[in-house]
Amino acid sequence: MDIFAGLINGFSIALMGTNILFCFLGALIGTAIGVLPGLGPAATIALLLPLTYVIGSPVTAIIMMAGIYYGAMYGGSTTSILLNLPGEAASVVTCIDGYQMAKKGRAGAALGIAAIGSFIAGTVAVIGLTFFAPPLAEFALDFGPPEYFALTTLGLLLAVTLSGGSITKGLIILIVGLLLAMVGLDPISGKIRFTFGSIGLQGGFDFVTLAMGVFGLGEILYNLESTMKTELVTRKIGKIFPTLKDWADSKWAILRGSVIGFFIGIIPGGGSVISSLASYAIEKKYSKHPEEFGQGAIQGVAGPESANNAASSSSFIPLLTLGIPGNAAIAMIFAALMIQGITPGPFLVAEHPDLFWGVIASMYIGNAMLLVLNLPMVGLWVQMLRVPYGILAPVIVLFTTVGVYSVQNQVFDIYSMLFFAALGYGMRKLKFDPAPLPLAFVLGPMVERSLRQSLLISGGDLTIFVTRPISGTLIAIFVLLIVGQTTFFIKRKMRGKKTTAT
Amino acid sequence: MKKSERIVAIITSLGGVWIMYYGWHTLKLGSIHIPDAGLLPFLCGVGLAVLGVVWMLILQWAKEPTHEGPVEKRLWHRPLLSLVLMVLYGWAMESVGYITSTLIFVIAWQKIIEREKWLKTMIIALIGTFAMYALFVYLLKVPIPPEFFAR
Repeated sequence: MDIFAGLINGFSIALMGTNILFCFLGALIGTAIGVLPGLGPAATIALLLPLTYVIGSPVTAIIMMAGIYYGAMYGGSTTSILLNLPGEAASVVTCIDGYQMAKKGRAGAALGIAAIGSFIAGTVAVIGLTFFAPPLAEFALDFGPPEYFALTTLGLLLAVTLSGGSITKGLIILIVGLLLAMVGLDPISGKIRFTFGSIGLQGGFDFVTLAMGVFGLGEILYNLESTMKTELVTRKIGKIFPTLKDWADSKWAILRGSVIGFFIGIIPGGGSVISSLASYAIEKKYSKHPEEFGQGAIQGVAGPESANNAASSSSFIPLLTLGIPGNAAIAMIFAALMIQGITPGPFLVAEHPDLFWGVIASMYIGNAMLLVLNLPMVGLWVQMLRVPYGILAPVIVLFTTVGVYSVQNQVFDIYSMLFFAALGYGMRKLKFDPAPLPLAFVLGPMVERSLRQSLLISGGDLTIFVTRPISGTLIAIFVLLIVGQTTFFIKRKMRGKKTTAT
Repeated sequence: MKKSERIVAIITSLGGVWIMYYGWHTLKLGSIHIPDAGLLPFLCGVGLAVLGVVWMLILQWAKEPTHEGPVEKRLWHRPLLSLVLMVLYGWAMESVGYITSTLIFVIAWQKIIEREKWLKTMIIALIGTFAMYALFVYLLKVPIPPEFFAR
């Protein structure tokens, strides 16, 4: 099936009544959680994972999950602009100039350019996804266990190094995720691992309980500590359609943001946060008036908001073509696919073309829906910011508890989830980024299987990982990354010592 | 923060050593030709043990961060209390059924965690319980634990 035929097929699926409805629901929920500070897209998709059992059709379920993910990127700008508080992590930089614009009475223009930029970037990235994903999937058909081992380990390492936090802590969380994935029966030898005599653990931990615990309840517990009260900078939004001057000022920022976001989104661990930071840095560096940045420059809103939306769409490329989730939210979608009995990877295009093309086509539709949801309805989202956390928190607790119970109808899952909630809370308290945990948990079985299969194929010859061209290249990048990071760390320490000495 | 981080770093290292032993002794490493179930846990144990030590060294080198500007007051007892409430809720859901346990849970949450007035507490509890019941039972057709008096 060629790309255009596939896309037409995709639109015929995405335009079906149920799929349109769930695409809209995903975009709506996504925008809502993007607007509400304290609950990110990964947490929301985690909370809704049990719904995938009820929805039934994998295409419909993934269309909704994808809608939540890119919808959250749209909604995140609202709180950044009006509250100086990012609705989700990728909108951190939007606070800088967006909030300043709002203080100067230009909240509408900031919200408008954020939504329009997001729409353009989202659409550009989906076009890229349409043309880039099928050839990449075809290329990945040649991958064997050594390539998969090299790719998954490189992906995990990138997820840690690019997350921006402490690399040591990131690696610890990564290993904890791998170990949690090993609980239960060993898939090759059938031995029972890390169950400590518990029958409930023999089947291993369920991804839903892990995701809901660490991301859903863990975040709720951490937010309960906070005493900070936020206030809307303005109740008047003003004109939301940008003026001709706004357009002229931000058109290149939107285009650059789209391209930067698209390419960073493809890299595992890259994602929306890094792309928005990179876009802001580039806009400031190449601006004729860099002094305006931080004072309410419209490019400082247009660029990062475009970049994070482009990244959210292009991060589907490694998932749909290689079966590698690049960030926590995409790991949740990976899990949703697995729940439906579908293994994402290079065979997805050939084996499940309806799903592959249906989801891509739904992204075009979803982006258009989000433009409608975000521009004329912006006042409604502002009203939503008034829902007190004291009501929201117990509602989420009820939802997660009943949701996790419904998966297998056993209370053991609720206790597992609470264990993960405590773990997630502890991680946040100790400044651990929880994002590598679900990635390692999801990719853990693939890492172990491909490592052991590679050793079996080669008769214990470890050179199998470096003598094959693709795995050799990936391992070389892996080594370069470690050497580079170590050199950077030592140099920084030496420089620090020199400064203290002088 | 540094003290608690040091404790966690030591636990990480010791945990890594225990996992190495568990992988090597209980699960068995196998050979390089035919690796057994303990190989990857053993390697992970090595990783955790080393990273725990690295973390401790970093903490040793790092300067204590200085806070500038107002520091947000954080209430650590609220998450602890809510976690206890959630454990009790999980137990109660199986023992007395969904509706009764949920009503009690939401009331307890609003009174203990949020310190709300009785009227608001009861309104939230009743609406929350029955809205979730309607969502899961009628809309999503999910089985939930029956009430103890209906068993």
